[in-house]
Amino acid sequence: MPPRERVAVVAAGVATPIGQDLDAFWSSLLTGSSGISAIERFPVGDLRVGRGGEIKKLTRDIRWTGVPDCRATRLLVSAADELIAQVPLRPADVDPARLAVVVGTALGGVEEGERALAGEGPRRRMRGALYDAPGHNLARWLGARGHVLTVSTACASGATAMGIGADLLRQDMADLVVAGGYDILCRFVLRGFDALRSLTRDEVRPFDRRRSGLLLGEAGALVLLAREADAGRRPLGWVRGHASTGDGSHIAAPDPEGRGLERAVRLALAEAGAAPGDVDFVSAHGTATPLNDRIETAVIKRVFQAHAHAIPVNSIKPTMGHTMGAAATLEAIMCLLAGRHGQIPPTRHLEVPDPECDLDYVPGSARALRPRLSLSTSLGFGGCNGALVLESA
Amino acid sequence: MTTTVAPGRITKGIPAPAIRAVGFVSGWGRGLDAIPADARAAAEGRPVVPLGRPVMEGERFRRATRECLWALAAVEVMLEDEEVDRAVLAGDRTALLFVTAAVYGASNRAFIEGSGGGTHFAYTAPAVVSAEAAIEFGLHGPAALFIGGPPATLRAIWYAATLLGSGTCDRALVLAVETFAECADLYARARRRSAPPLVEAAGCAWLEPGEGRLDLRVGRSSRDAGGDLERRLGETFACGPLAELAVWRRAGGVGDLRLHGRWRGEAADLSITKGGA
Repeated sequence: MPPRERVAVVAAGVATPIGQDLDAFWSSLLTGSSGISAIERFPVGDLRVGRGGEIKKLTRDIRWTGVPDCRATRLLVSAADELIAQVPLRPADVDPARLAVVVGTALGGVEEGERALAGEGPRRRMRGALYDAPGHNLARWLGARGHVLTVSTACASGATAMGIGADLLRQDMADLVVAGGYDILCRFVLRGFDALRSLTRDEVRPFDRRRSGLLLGEAGALVLLAREADAGRRPLGWVRGHASTGDGSHIAAPDPEGRGLERAVRLALAEAGAAPGDVDFVSAHGTATPLNDRIETAVIKRVFQAHAHAIPVNSIKPTMGHTMGAAATLEAIMCLLAGRHGQIPPTRHLEVPDPECDLDYVPGSARALRPRLSLSTSLGFGGCNGALVLESA
Repeated sequence: MTTTVAPGRITKGIPAPAIRAVGFVSGWGRGLDAIPADARAAAEGRPVVPLGRPVMEGERFRRATRECLWALAAVEVMLEDEEVDRAVLAGDRTALLFVTAAVYGASNRAFIEGSGGGTHFAYTAPAVVSAEAAIEFGLHGPAALFIGGPPATLRAIWYAATLLGSGTCDRALVLAVETFAECADLYARARRRSAPPLVEAAGCAWLEPGEGRLDLRVGRSSRDAGGDLERRLGETFACGPLAELAVWRRAGGVGDLRLHGRWRGEAADLSITKGGA
């Protein structure tokens, strides 16, 4: 497979429990500020775990008039507001018909579904419950009239969205693409993961021998993608390669050998025209579930061979929880910021090494290193896997 | 920083796929022959024309939702119609692209309203519907899920062509499933009384590298009456373009192919020109 044209990441915007702009997000990742707190927005008294990465208040100065009263939409708009503060998407600069939106989500507007079932709100609430509603709401807010896509490869959705967004540009189907992911923390998903016994009462400890599960979080994360020629002088970096694959082995658990993830990583590297030895840094999915971290470690070892122990690998999920559809995009942004600032955020709460997870996971504090080429990996329900190869500017 | 792009470029298209096979089932029955002349008349006032639950033997299917079983059935129907052994699909060179606008509604509702355990929660993820098909047919290749109505299906076909064109896979399945019955009361509240019936459906198209060019364009759409097939079939959300594809293929699959889809004010047109079949 010949390498594909790289696609520029021109700007990024985030709405997360650890910051609602890139500076705050990055600073919190480096210093270890926690976005985990007791959940206040909905009842959790009957659940085993009532903590998560909840955004208490959206703080950006946005006129919400005309924006649907849908939390998922508002997370996306909040992230987009930061993005357009960097690159105004005015009709004079961008043909709206050539501005595309590609967002990934695991849950879409599921909370709207809960409200529709409760008989709340107008009749159109039902349309808001369909998972593509927040993506279309974002497109309307941006004034985008090009392709509007919603993808749902579960917790790998943010990677799939960025990869497909890059393909739209490579094939000249858009001139600019707003791509990324989102998901909200709501009772539906918290109750589900609680029932699965996936949530920890402890800290989230990726790759630690004592790891006992994840905490959920909510976020919106967007990047603005452009072809190299349209990218301006100093992009954040580039999407070099992407692949999304399916395990075809189990509906909820990953393939025990991680074969699907390995295929995704190898395909993404091939699309990037990169050899494993070219990769400087791996942003792992790192959920801190016993199975996930062991599988990811094994895949990294198989792909990178002797080089595996020399590559720093981190997980940022302890700081804000697993943000599901937003996670892969946030991690991609983190990779590019690491290249820009010459620092790799640590894996928090990793204190007791697991013999089965024996790579360099950047425990303790941030590492001074400027990765040029990064790999971001993601896994999700339904055996979904995503891999992104990113190049820092 | 300001990013300026040239407006109004003409897209060049990408290498088109060949349509090797299409399987389609709907609330009217199996295949195209079951589709009535007029969906409204045939529905006789029913707002939803259901598919029921397919009968599948095996412990693995006992807890699976009916939407998962219809995903399997759509692939099976395609294989039977084409008289191809399922083993041909197995492996990591087959991509699976799943499309739906609303199939997760039933499981979401059951989980919200019921006591719902962990296994039930897993089935609320749209990815699990296609995962069941991937497990059943041994599909381990590239995979993606597109959420939305007919334009999403056209984008799945486009993405299949992208994967085929880059050599990432040798064949791609575009699979769509829509079920409505479990949320019929919610749809009744949200839709106009004059709307065509919602018809549950499942379809699968098998794409391989082909000849010609594929082009996909979007624009804004005002509501229109829909095409002849939609009038006959009823509203099937993401499954509609696969029914159109089946009609084109039954007609010999020669000549240019044009598929059209509208959803949420967006109109998408996909064309395959110069020997795409």
